Amino acid sequence: MQRVLVVAILAVAIAFLALTIGIVAGKAWREIRDARRRRRRNALEPIVLGFAHGDAPSILPALGGGVARRDRPVLEAILLDHVQRVRGVERDRLGRILDELGFVESYFAGLSSPRWWIRARAAEHLGLARAKRATPHLLRALDDDSYDVRLRAAKAVAAAGGTAAVAPLAKALSEPNRFSTIRIADILAGMGHPVVRELVDVFPHLTRHGKLAVLDILGRIHPPEAVPWLHERLQEPHRDLRARAAHAIGAIGATASAGVLRAALEDPDWPVRAMAAKGLGRLHDEEAIPQLCAAMRDREWWVRANAGEALRRIGPPGIAALENMLDDEDRYAQHQACLVLESAGVLERRVVELVTPGPAGERAAVLVQRFIRMGQTARLCELAATHRDPVVRGTIARLLPLSGAPQEVAR
Amino acid sequence: MRLAKRILVAEDDPVTARFVGSLLAEHGFDVLVADDGDHALELAADAAPDLIVSDLVMPYRDGYEVLRALRSDPRFRAIPVVILSMRDREEDIVRGFEQGADDYVVKPFNARELVARVKKLLEPRSA
Repeated sequence: MQRVLVVAILAVAIAFLALTIGIVAGKAWREIRDARRRRRRNALEPIVLGFAHGDAPSILPALGGGVARRDRPVLEAILLDHVQRVRGVERDRLGRILDELGFVESYFAGLSSPRWWIRARAAEHLGLARAKRATPHLLRALDDDSYDVRLRAAKAVAAAGGTAAVAPLAKALSEPNRFSTIRIADILAGMGHPVVRELVDVFPHLTRHGKLAVLDILGRIHPPEAVPWLHERLQEPHRDLRARAAHAIGAIGATASAGVLRAALEDPDWPVRAMAAKGLGRLHDEEAIPQLCAAMRDREWWVRANAGEALRRIGPPGIAALENMLDDEDRYAQHQACLVLESAGVLERRVVELVTPGPAGERAAVLVQRFIRMGQTARLCELAATHRDPVVRGTIARLLPLSGAPQEVAR
Repeated sequence: MRLAKRILVAEDDPVTARFVGSLLAEHGFDVLVADDGDHALELAADAAPDLIVSDLVMPYRDGYEVLRALRSDPRFRAIPVVILSMRDREEDIVRGFEQGADDYVVKPFNARELVARVKKLLEPRSA
């Protein structure tokens, strides 16, 4: 029994010893490897950067004609580190090294790996290398079983493939179950103007989900050349498409769009009216003021809010219209105008003019009286108590008690 | 007497610092690298650089603080400063210029453009 115990203790001790030796050896090996890599990095990095900054046709002569197998991971790390930090010629030259030294080929092989994380990494690195010939491989990877691989391939194909990537990416917008529409839309919007033609061409073939994303992307890219096409989208049968088109038109801000947006303000569906109002504000369209005032009486809060904001954005004539809306018959329109004038700081600026003799002072008094008549005195009471100018405080306070404002504030 | 113009690169990311350092050295500049805001101010005082390329996000003192310190000290007020930052929002860029930057380059940056901007700022200014 005692002998069995001794053997068991010895076995455990030997196992622990072996484990300890294994850990120490592993750590030592990693330390030695990392130290060597740091050393090699210090030696190789200046060569890589020298090539990137220069105009030599190939890096191989500077590397002594080839790269030792143990140096490959070091070189790859250097290239991938730097290629993400620069643009232009130097970036292209760093990408060319990745191709010249066979890294791009190894990424192609990586795309066929049975392990999804290797495929994902390969797709990402191909995007960094920006090798044009990677496009067909990456387009195939858009059908990968793994979401991560598909997404990284989508980013890579956008980076490497140029306009050839747009159609497959745009089609991916129609597959929200396989792609994140937001991510793909971000990628396409990031590609900028070159995608506009392709997006317009692919639009009829997309699902409604994809079409909405295309309109959203155009609103982010602001392509003036797409404005006539977007005007036509205001005739789409689905209200969301018309609303998103109105939003994109407003975001682009072409003055030629004012007429169609004014017409869209009469759309039977409120999302379209709301987006049209917002767009007219962005265009600073003074001709739209009467219609925007009418939109302040809309039965939908969103339309009223956007119309009020649009009037504010139009500037002094819009602000004057908002002030007049305080006497409107529609209580909702009055209230919305009041909110906009308060939040835009108009009331605060105007009360300063109360102490100015002449038309400015009279206009300020009219505005304050309108607020008081509406019973919207909370902000006025605050100003009567806290305004930095005691004369202004006193003037507001004198106006407030006449309309039954709280005495403690108006004192 | 110093022949090459001296440029101080204040950058906490070592990869970017090495890239910018090697780029500027390739174009004949004498390059010093500081890896945080405090170190940048120390080097500015010790080495009297002709121009400073500074990141915005750095330990101890960020790029804005470095700029404020440089612009409030008569010794450094005339040194051109180029901000090199990932921050590409309008307000960041405007704030950079308001704090006294002479130029602003967004990362990832175009290397040749950065060199051109640096050279332009180092040109003797005519009256």
